[in-house]
Amino acid sequence: MFTSFKAGEKGKIVDLSHVNHLVQRRLLDLGITEGTEVCVKCVMPFGGPIMIESCGQCIGIRRKEAVQMEVVKV
Amino acid sequence: MEIALIGNPNTGKTSLFNNLTGSYEYVGNWSGVTVEKKVGVFKNNIGHLIDLPGVYTLNPLSRDEGVVTSFFLNESVDRLLNILDASQLERNLNLTLQLLEYERPVLIGLNMIDVANKRGIQIDVSKFSSLLGVPVVPVVARSGKGCDKLVDVISTKSVEPAKKNLVYYGKEVEAAIISLSKEIEGKTEQSLRFLAIQYFEGNEQVKNYLHTITDSVTLSKIHSALEAELQNRYNSKSLSNFIYLKRKETIDKIVAEAAVKKSTVVPLSEKIDMIVTNKFLGIPIFLMFMYLLFMLTFDWVGTPLSDALDALLTGPVTGFFESALTTIHASAFIHALIIEGLVAGVGGVLVFVPQIFILFFFISLLEDSGYMARVALVMDRIMESVGLNGKAFIPMIIGFGCNVPGIMAARTIETPKERLLTILLTPLMSCSARLPVYALFVGAFFAGHRALIVLSLYVLGIVVALILAKIFSSTILKSETSLFVIELPPYRMPQFQSLWRSTWDKAKGFIRKAGTFIFAGSVFIWLLSYAGPGGLDVDMDHSFLAMIGGVIAPLLAPIGFGTWQAAASLITGFLAKESIIATMNIIYFVPNDSSLQGLLANYYTPLAAYSFMVFILLYIPCLATTATIYKETGSKKWTVFSVVYALFIAYVLSLIIYQGGKLFGLV
Ligand SMILES: Nc1nc2c(ncn2[C@@H]2O[C@H](COP(=O)(O)OP(=O)(O)OP(=O)(O)O)[C@@H](O)[C@H]2O)c(=O)[nH]1
Ligand SMILES: [Mg+2]
Repeated sequence: MFTSFKAGEKGKIVDLSHVNHLVQRRLLDLGITEGTEVCVKCVMPFGGPIMIESCGQCIGIRRKEAVQMEVVKV
Repeated sequence: MEIALIGNPNTGKTSLFNNLTGSYEYVGNWSGVTVEKKVGVFKNNIGHLIDLPGVYTLNPLSRDEGVVTSFFLNESVDRLLNILDASQLERNLNLTLQLLEYERPVLIGLNMIDVANKRGIQIDVSKFSSLLGVPVVPVVARSGKGCDKLVDVISTKSVEPAKKNLVYYGKEVEAAIISLSKEIEGKTEQSLRFLAIQYFEGNEQVKNYLHTITDSVTLSKIHSALEAELQNRYNSKSLSNFIYLKRKETIDKIVAEAAVKKSTVVPLSEKIDMIVTNKFLGIPIFLMFMYLLFMLTFDWVGTPLSDALDALLTGPVTGFFESALTTIHASAFIHALIIEGLVAGVGGVLVFVPQIFILFFFISLLEDSGYMARVALVMDRIMESVGLNGKAFIPMIIGFGCNVPGIMAARTIETPKERLLTILLTPLMSCSARLPVYALFVGAFFAGHRALIVLSLYVLGIVVALILAKIFSSTILKSETSLFVIELPPYRMPQFQSLWRSTWDKAKGFIRKAGTFIFAGSVFIWLLSYAGPGGLDVDMDHSFLAMIGGVIAPLLAPIGFGTWQAAASLITGFLAKESIIATMNIIYFVPNDSSLQGLLANYYTPLAAYSFMVFILLYIPCLATTATIYKETGSKKWTVFSVVYALFIAYVLSLIIYQGGKLFGLV
């Protein structure tokens, strides 16, 4: 789970099916899907969004959506 | 010849558009700058170029993306110019493959070559071109490198795609494409394969389009049969995912053959991000930036420049007009019209041009650097708690320049409720036209704390917007879904030239308005103040203007400025906020040197002045903004609502400030 990640740690997305449908669509648009490697760049305070990077592209997503992504550390 | 620019957001389409047509459309370093179709003419006159909003796929989620899909379905173009970001090939090619299925002549502009090279990505252009079967031209839209070549290729080469069916979707899907094509054959001019695939992907607009030309039941039968088959045979999640994966296979193959990626360097961008989106520093850094902006505008640079300009206008310029009028023996009427109406009204607005320039310079800096999307990220937590999302902050920041483009920018917000909420609240952002009022009043009453007082007004606008967002989103605009996924572009060093151009482009609007709208308005206002029931050249207190203002003035007494002068300027402020200042300059016209600033002290107390500024900040969206709200919401009800709630909030807040202040012994 992303929330256990610290800034700088890398992971691989295993399952996105529990994430909100629209968010899934947007992530797909940005090239993020099952099997993509991502790196957590920073985590905002007070339950704010997190910033992840994949293929040189940085993306901000909300914590509550990140929680629903299944990710394994690599 | 009609050529449409299409590509992912923030890939430099508008930069290229500006370069090829010599126009100046809005460029900025975040996704979703362009939100509507723009048409331009090529510099060498070979045809029209059409700039469109950026899209990731042809299956739209938000309003600006819908513009592109409906353009595709309803209008015909001769050629498509697909712009790719060379540093993000995989993601960009997803759209390219869809465009190729559309079976119109396509041409690829491979942009941001400089960025790709810096990241160690080398692309073999001729290989890339032969793999896709369309011409590819490398360009750097920002500097214009390669644009000549691009124009050459556009105007000469035949760009009929050499390869059909680049992606093979597997025999089940291909069979379904054929059977769906049979259903719609002869009923449409569009590519059948394109329509079929888009339909399978769940593109709502294509679905609606197909339903108008053929039986919907048959189509959905084909769709569900295919989905079930794929589910059985390959255990696929959904049809659209299956299609996506097939495309991805093709893309990976193309990229592996045509591009090599050497060592990865950590871009500077990520180092800057460590600071500006830092856990604790994020919001303070943003506030610091704002404070710096106001110090420069109202204290360090802007005010001295404005004062100098003011001295020039009231001294030599007025003197020049005086003597010119005397030489031509102008009648007293003309003389008064020009000196007391036009020079006072238009000049009074023009004086603030330096401050407007500084403000716009900072907004352009924010837009061009890539900080904008970061601000949205940093603000998301706060915005979420009031039922909005971080992206809504972008229209609000743009609204600081002018509310009209701010409201337009709300198109990128995906959920309709959040979008409507953003449209309704953006007018609370203090636009540049309100700035002259603040500049005048802080100069007269709060000379020691100019920047701080103005900052307090801007922050008040934001706070009121947030509180109202909370109220509206939990009452009349309840929404279940909220979506926040934002692309954070790499920082780009703003170039001085493009910064200057975009500053000038925005400030030009202010000057132009002074020369046209305010000019005409000043004549009209002056006439109203010059004429009265008693005839011409009456004492101003007995003029028509005083009568009109006098009707409303009693209502304003409880909030500290129950004079006909204040009421009259507020009425004209609905037409354009700048006219508040123009009107005041005409009403309080003083022939000698004593300035308007000094004179104001006779009519306002500092407390009343603050109350007045708060009222101006909130009281009503101007005419152009109201028209835009109507255009964007398409609803009379919401347009009226936006005017009424603003008046109400402004009155209540000014009342609290004025009466509350009096209770505490302030004056
Ligand atoms: N380094 C570099 N920057 C570029 C190039 N082309 C455009 N840019 C910058 O990229 C940013 C985005 O440019 P735009 O022209 O607004 O992009 P767009 O595709 O119209 O964006 P949307 O309207 O949001 O879809 C701006 O900051 C440009 O200055 C390029 O070739 N090289
Ligand atoms: Mg654009």
